[in-house]
Amino acid sequence: MALRGFVRKFKPLEILTEEELEAIHKGTLEVLWTTGVRIEHDRALKLLEKNGCKVDYENKRVKIPPDLVEECLRRAPSSFHAQARDEKYDLMVGGDTLYLAVAPGQNTVDIDTWEPRVPTRKENYDAVTVSDSLSTVHFFSPYTPYFGFEGVPACMAMLESLAARIRNSTKFQCVGFSQNSEIFAIKMAQAVGIEILGTCAWAPPLAVYSDAVESAFRFAEAGLPIRIVTGQVMGGTAPATIAGGVITNNAEVIAGLVLVQLIKPGTRVLVKDFSAAMNMNSGSPGFGGVEIALHNAVSSQIFRRYGVPLDHTTAYPNSKAADYQSSYEKCFRVMTAGMSGANTLLFHGSVHGELTHHPVQAVLDDDMAGMVGRFMEGVEVNHETMATDLIRAVGPVPGHFLSKPHTRKWWRHEQFVPESADRLTYPVWIDSGKKNCLDYARERTENILKTHKVTPLTSSQESNVELVLEEAREYYKKKELMTAEEISTYNKSMKSPNYPYE
Amino acid sequence: MSIEVLERLKKAVLEYDEEEAAKCAREVIEKQVDPVEAMNAMTVAIRQVGDGFGRGEFFLPDLVGAADAMSAATPILEEAIRKSGASRKSLGTVVIGTVYGDIHTIGKTMVATLLSAEGFQVVDLGINVTAEEFVAGIKKNNADILAMSALLTTTAPEQRKVINNLKEEGIRDKIKVIVGGGAITQEFADSIGADGYDPTAPGSVKLARKLIGI
Repeated sequence: MALRGFVRKFKPLEILTEEELEAIHKGTLEVLWTTGVRIEHDRALKLLEKNGCKVDYENKRVKIPPDLVEECLRRAPSSFHAQARDEKYDLMVGGDTLYLAVAPGQNTVDIDTWEPRVPTRKENYDAVTVSDSLSTVHFFSPYTPYFGFEGVPACMAMLESLAARIRNSTKFQCVGFSQNSEIFAIKMAQAVGIEILGTCAWAPPLAVYSDAVESAFRFAEAGLPIRIVTGQVMGGTAPATIAGGVITNNAEVIAGLVLVQLIKPGTRVLVKDFSAAMNMNSGSPGFGGVEIALHNAVSSQIFRRYGVPLDHTTAYPNSKAADYQSSYEKCFRVMTAGMSGANTLLFHGSVHGELTHHPVQAVLDDDMAGMVGRFMEGVEVNHETMATDLIRAVGPVPGHFLSKPHTRKWWRHEQFVPESADRLTYPVWIDSGKKNCLDYARERTENILKTHKVTPLTSSQESNVELVLEEAREYYKKKELMTAEEISTYNKSMKSPNYPYE
Repeated sequence: MSIEVLERLKKAVLEYDEEEAAKCAREVIEKQVDPVEAMNAMTVAIRQVGDGFGRGEFFLPDLVGAADAMSAATPILEEAIRKSGASRKSLGTVVIGTVYGDIHTIGKTMVATLLSAEGFQVVDLGINVTAEEFVAGIKKNNADILAMSALLTTTAPEQRKVINNLKEEGIRDKIKVIVGGGAITQEFADSIGADGYDPTAPGSVKLARKLIGI
């Protein structure tokens, strides 16, 4: 049993010829064997050496032989099941299925002035509720909806965020890692009886630090799935060319995959192509750029050949507001994901890059996601849909199809009806006060918050979540990662009668 | 003749030609041209690129290319300056780095490059720099300014730790501290007791000048 997601019914987009694909593959093997990667983790280095890699301990450099790469790519499952709080939201990641997820933002944003600010605890929990209600949000990614919220010290942000998502959603959850937060994230998941997807994030070019490797060990050893992420910026931390960028990206995530398959063969792995090109004016990643779509589409082609599920670059727009620019930037990315065979894409709710998120944006994105999902279903061609009998019965004008049972049966199947788009006729639009999609999305968001009921945790699950949070708070206090002032603010923020929800 | 080599040195910086810049620097020494003049010529060139970058006419690869060309010639000229007993005016010494736990390099490198272009002596400690390494770097280089970067909300508190270490070492009053990076806000900078914050690389250069009173 798993959530259906969006299923592509036609051939995926292919950017490269077979020869070009082979050249990229060979290039990747060459980089892994001749340049190698830097892994700052001695236990990992020993494990890799034991399995035939050449290891230079002084420089933490590992060269991975091609046959080990091929063997580990075969060991990684081509598709895998992952368990959510409600089994109807379990995922079956891989194949021709695309799952979309909430995309994070560091802060919330005022949707009148588009100025960012730190969200309140209530705003964080409400944003989870909104995405829980949206049918095109198939799961939640790490750090979502926000990187943290008011009153919570930085070291506790990731765990408070996970607790909020576990409490206010029954969908599948992912986590990142920071200062050993994954120890408590795994405990929290086990205490509630769910699976979570962990993260091992590389540091391009061609390096990974000990905390990311530690996270990989912990998730693999706990028998949980893991996402191997790298975050290259072409022209900065990767070659400026897409072909060169794809090769270093491949080398990084495949080196991560090899390590995970050596820690525990058969570990469920989702690989992420989190590439962007550098904005050469500012040095920041050019998240809205079309080159990302090309890079991602090529990666889809390669990982389809490898038989390993792929996550595309999070669909962050460059625009600061929900506007024309943000719409085309997002649409281009989600369409490319659907057409080229991405298995997952973090999509809903990000307003400006990874800096802001808003539930109203998630509601707007629900329509765009629905359109792509519909497109991926393709065109059903059979005797009934071809409708030649009906066409004969109706004949030329004055015949029409509006009154036919065939129309009543099929139109909803064939059309996608957006919830927030303005589809009024001109006079009715004037009468409506010239409402646009943003107005409708705001109304829908308010309505969701009034009506959507999240299945609550059982009381024992709830007390377990709180126990794990308390254990983590004690751990970070002992590590002196919270100042006395932060602890006092944090304690005050937990005094509300509606804790933990506000 | 001396003017010719200085013009070629400027041109090398403007054309991002490291080899030519180093060659010109060696020629400056051979022909006994004033090395301070040569450094000034390069500063004029890199400012031209820096200003063009500020106006959006040049891009980061240009800025970094020019800085690298300048860096290829600088040690050769500086050695000659030291030997001659002359001194080159510097606006001050900046120790810069990305804090421990954070491996983001590009924003920090941009600031370092623009500060060099402005005429600061910049000591770049790199990424993932511990509080202890920052303190040691400051002491060793007798720095006037400490510049710290953090992209992540989870690593931003490390900046506070560094400032606390400066206090413990009794050197907090001897140095100006500026902070930046994606996770940093003015409010956060104030809360950890930094002397300044700016969200942009060109802005941090102005901030550095202001803080040391020039």
